[in-house]
Parts: sequence; structure tokens; C-alpha cells
Amino acid sequence: MTQQDTIQLGGGELSLWGKIKLTIARRTEGRGVALLAIILTVALLTEPLVFTAYQVTLGRIALIGLVALGLTAVILMGQLDLSVASTLAASGVVLAIIPDLTLGIIAALLTGLLVGAINAFGVAIIGINSFIWTLGMLFFLRGVALVISNEAPVKLTNADAGIAFGQPLIGPITPRILIFILVFIAIQVFVSRVKMGREFYAVGGNPQAAKDAGIPVKRRIFTGFMISGFVSALAGVINTLERTAADPIAGSTVLLASFAAAIIGGNYLKGGRGSIVGTLIGAGALGVLQVTLTLSGVQVPVQQIFIGLVLLLAVTTDPNNLRAVLSSIRSARSSRVKVQKPASEPNKSTAS
Amino acid sequence: MSKNEPITQINAMAQAPEEQPKQKSRRGVEWFAENGIFVFTAVLILSAAIFVDGFASLQNITDVFHRAAPIGIVAVGMTFVVISGNYLDLSVVAQVATAAVIMIAVSNEYGYFAAVLAAMLAALIYAIVNGVAVGYFKANAVIVTLSTTYVGLGLLRLLSGGSIFFGPPDGALAQFGAGKLGPVPYSALVLVAMTLILAFVLNRTNFGFTVRSFGINERATRLGGTNTGLVIIGAFLVTSLSAMIAGFVLAAFSNTAVSAMSTGYDFQALAAIIVGGTSVFGGKGSVLRTLLGVIFVSVLSNVLVLLNIGLDTSRWPLEF
Repeated sequence: MTQQDTIQLGGGELSLWGKIKLTIARRTEGRGVALLAIILTVALLTEPLVFTAYQVTLGRIALIGLVALGLTAVILMGQLDLSVASTLAASGVVLAIIPDLTLGIIAALLTGLLVGAINAFGVAIIGINSFIWTLGMLFFLRGVALVISNEAPVKLTNADAGIAFGQPLIGPITPRILIFILVFIAIQVFVSRVKMGREFYAVGGNPQAAKDAGIPVKRRIFTGFMISGFVSALAGVINTLERTAADPIAGSTVLLASFAAAIIGGNYLKGGRGSIVGTLIGAGALGVLQVTLTLSGVQVPVQQIFIGLVLLLAVTTDPNNLRAVLSSIRSARSSRVKVQKPASEPNKSTAS
Repeated sequence: MSKNEPITQINAMAQAPEEQPKQKSRRGVEWFAENGIFVFTAVLILSAAIFVDGFASLQNITDVFHRAAPIGIVAVGMTFVVISGNYLDLSVVAQVATAAVIMIAVSNEYGYFAAVLAAMLAALIYAIVNGVAVGYFKANAVIVTLSTTYVGLGLLRLLSGGSIFFGPPDGALAQFGAGKLGPVPYSALVLVAMTLILAFVLNRTNFGFTVRSFGINERATRLGGTNTGLVIIGAFLVTSLSAMIAGFVLAAFSNTAVSAMSTGYDFQALAAIIVGGTSVFGGKGSVLRTLLGVIFVSVLSNVLVLLNIGLDTSRWPLEF
């Protein structure tokens, strides 16, 4: 939406078609939209149940997408947060071991914020690569979750509240879907309308330039990681409430699914480009794919293969990556011509 | 003789970044990262031998080696990918399991030769898919190998039906797994042999130098006329072949194979590599350091088990 402003600033005299072309070129969701369209078509032709049972599909999208939304805030800044999976598990366990529900939810969400702050501390203050630091966090938190749960799933003391939480609120909308939509709107507004959120793009695009422009880069990194930690803790709370139990090793598939959603949605892993809408589209594509496969009675390993292939396809068909392939082919072709000549000359000189 | 000259030159180049002046705040950390592991390992082994009951027994040390061998073999191979600046190869989990299952399932039917061939083919496929995506498409190695892990494990579960395969109890594989040379199990000998071979490849061959120089400066290596894509495929191939051998060792050790048998190998191997002092940003590090890291990590977890600290708590120190 702000992109439209820049378009008007950049070229006011463009025709409508030119504007459309420019908008498409500036957006990053192209691949996500294409994939979603393909999957929706296939689903419509083979398994129309995906759409009639839209409650299930929406629930699945919310399950995949919630963590991905928070993750996108971190990816926009060119960082990775691998700890989301075990943040989800740890906060769920925290919720379950505290007898009082309200207190438990607050403590669980605070856990997420704390994890985010620790992640940001390691990345921004100590200066360790975010991939390594959050990887350590992933294991540390899994250990913590296993210790405080005594290595077994913990039952929620207030199981009735959990069951009530799983019931539809308005029509088919369960609280999970509602929270997902609210989080989506909140982060979308934050990233595209709020100055602090817009600065995420600047930090991701070029941290040094962002710093020189007066953006408090370290504070932004704290904000991003805390959003990610909070949202994954929220997902943990929702999971625990709906299942009325907390599994200390939950979330092993969340890591792949959330990264896949963010990457399919066109978020550039080195930061600076991408959008929350893209993540939503990516989560939608993955969710519909999973539900279609499940409803068609496909085995779980085949589902894994499909999702892995989609992720592989998404990460290799990034426009930048395709450009890299083209340039490497071109340079290989040109270098072959150039290298052969000098290589043959020294041979001659040594021979003579 | 003339071949030695470029080798020493590149060797000097590889060490050059260590001599450059560094930021003051980083100096202590980097000294630790470079030399701390020698001190830590020595202190750990000495104090364990003195204070922990049962550590210094022959039986226990044999067990430590037995446990360390498969992870160690994966780690020394993965060092290549890490040194080339591509973080890690998560798909070793799928690769180790694939090699183990192929080794037992195929050898039961068609003999060991066919099993080794099939496993090598699988390793080659993994290396090419990972290497092409990372080397030519310049895709993020973490995400690429995460997705190949899923595809690989999915395929393995689909084809094996998720069942457990048993080898014949008196087969050559089982004998190898139980065999010892004096007090040292064969698997530990494989680890040492792999370390020496890969150390030779990394430090004494053109390929090894190119991997290292790619990790230090990707652009310069490419402009120097190297086919960088092939180098990356090569680095992934070394990792895949090591993971394959680790799968064989693991299959021989238990004489069974199942698709879930290598869970956690990716990060345990990475932990050993990082503890050994190999830089995750590429360029710096060595295979021998990784071996030291493997020894450190396995001795540490052994000590924690001997001290009766819970399995879950023993995972914490691995990360820090």
C-alpha cells in the first residue's frame, strides 16, 4: 500500500498498464500466488471437500500460518529464528504446569517474550549469527521443556476451558482462526503502516545504511525477535488449550511448515524484501495442500515428500536465485572460451 | 615439485585472516574459539579420569568410542560443508538412515556389493540435489537441506514401510560391528581413518584448498577461474559419503536399521564441529579440530551419564 505511494512518486505519467506492470514487479508474492492457484485448481478438481469443509482447511492454515507470521518479522530483517518450534513447546508446558489458567497464559506469553529478548540479545548485542544462536536456543528450550514437564506430556488442569476454547465462536470460526486473523492484521499494519515496522525493511535491506540513517538497528532487532517469540508462544498456548495437554517435544513439524510458508510467500531470506500478505498466501497454499493430501488418503510420508518438494521448489525459484543460475551459466560459457587460451600458453612456454 | 608451490601459497592465504588485527571485544572470544578446545578437552579428560568413578575403565572408554564413531564420521564429513561457508547439511539425518536401511535391507537380498552400490547412488543423488540447489541456485543451505531431509525421510519411510530391518546375526556386518582390534572397536578405527583421509583431502589437495578459499571469499574464488558450483557439489559429496559410511557403521553396530535411527545427528555433528572451533562463517577450521570436538562432546555426555545427570539435562551443555 505504501508501495503505491512510491510508484506515484516515481512515475506519475505512467499508463494504467505500466502501473500494473510496475506493481507486479515490485511485489514479491508472485510465486506464492502461482502456487496457491495451482494447488486450489488441483484441489477443486480432485477433492472439492477441501472447500465444503472449509472450517478444517482454515484451521489447518491457521495452525501453519501463525508461527510463520511472527517469523516473517524476523526474516524481513535478514535474520533467522529457528527457536520458534521449541518456544511453542516450552510455552505450552509452562501454561500446563501452572494451575491457574489466566496466570498460565500470561506466564506462557511472557516466556515467549523472554525467549525473543534472549535471542535478540545474542544476535544484536553479542553479535553471534542468528542462525547459530537460535539453533542453540532451540535445543536449550527443548531441554527446558523436557525438564519442567518431567519428559512426559502434561495435562491441562482446567480441561473444560480448553474444550470450550476449541468450539466455534462465530459461525465456523474457532478462536484459533480468529486469533490468526487478528495477528495477521496486527503484524500487517505494523509492518506496512507503522514507522517502526517500515524500518524492518531498511534494517534487512542494508543494516549499515539503516544505522547511518538514524534507525536504532539493535532495538528493531529486539522488537522483531520479541514479536516472533510472542507469536510462537501464542501458538503454543492455542495448541495446548485445544489439545488440553502440552507435549514437551511438540512443534517439530512447525519449523519446516513455518519456514516453508514464509519462503513460498516470497520473503527473501537475506532480508529487506517480502510481505506478511505473502506469508499468508504461502500458509494458505501449504494448508490447502496438506488438507487435500490428507482428504485424498495419502500416506504421511508422501505428504512429507510433497511439502519438502514444494519448499525445495520455492527456495530455488527465488528470482535472485534464478538470476544467479543464469549468470553462472553465462560466465561458465564465456570463461570456457577465455580460459582455454591462456591455459595453453604456459604449457607451450614450459615445454619450450 | 612445481605443484608444491601453489599449495604453500594457498596455505599461507588460508592463515592470513587470523593474523589480521581484530576488534578488541572479539579478541578474547576468538582466542577461545581457536585454542580453547585443546585446553578444555585436556582438562575435561584429566578431571574425569581423576574425579569420576568408572570413567577411566577400559570398558567405558571403549563405549565412548563406540558411541562417538557414527556421529564423529558425520561430523568430520560435514566439516567440508561448514568450511565452504554453507552453515550445515541438515539432510545427514536422512542420509545416515538411508544408508543404514539400504545396507541391511539390500544386503539381505542381493549381497553387500549391491548394497554399497545402492547406498553410494543414494549419497550421490543427495549430494547433487543439495549441491546444485546451493551451488548453482545460490539458495540458502539450511532451507535446502531441511527440505531434502523431509523428502528423503518421506521416501525412505514410504519405501521401507517404516519397518525395522534385521541383519543375519552371524553376517559379516554384525561381525564388523562387534569386532575389536585389541580394546579399540572397528568403528573407532573407521572414524580415525576417515579423519586422516579427510584431513589429507582438506589440507593437501587442490579440492580442499578450493573449498577453503570458497569459504573465505566466494567472489574471489569464482573470479580466480574456479567452477564454484562444482566445488559446492564436491563439498556436499564428501558429506554425503561420510554420512553413508556413518550409516554403515551404525547399521553394523546394532545390526538393525530403521528410518528414525539417526534423529538428532545433524545438530550433534554441528555441535561437535562448532565446539572444535570451525567457524560457521566458512574458511576457518580443520577436520582434526572436529575430531577433537567429537571427543569433547562424547566425553562430556559420558561424564554426565556417569554422574547420573538426566538425559535431557545432559543436552544443555552441548549447546554452550
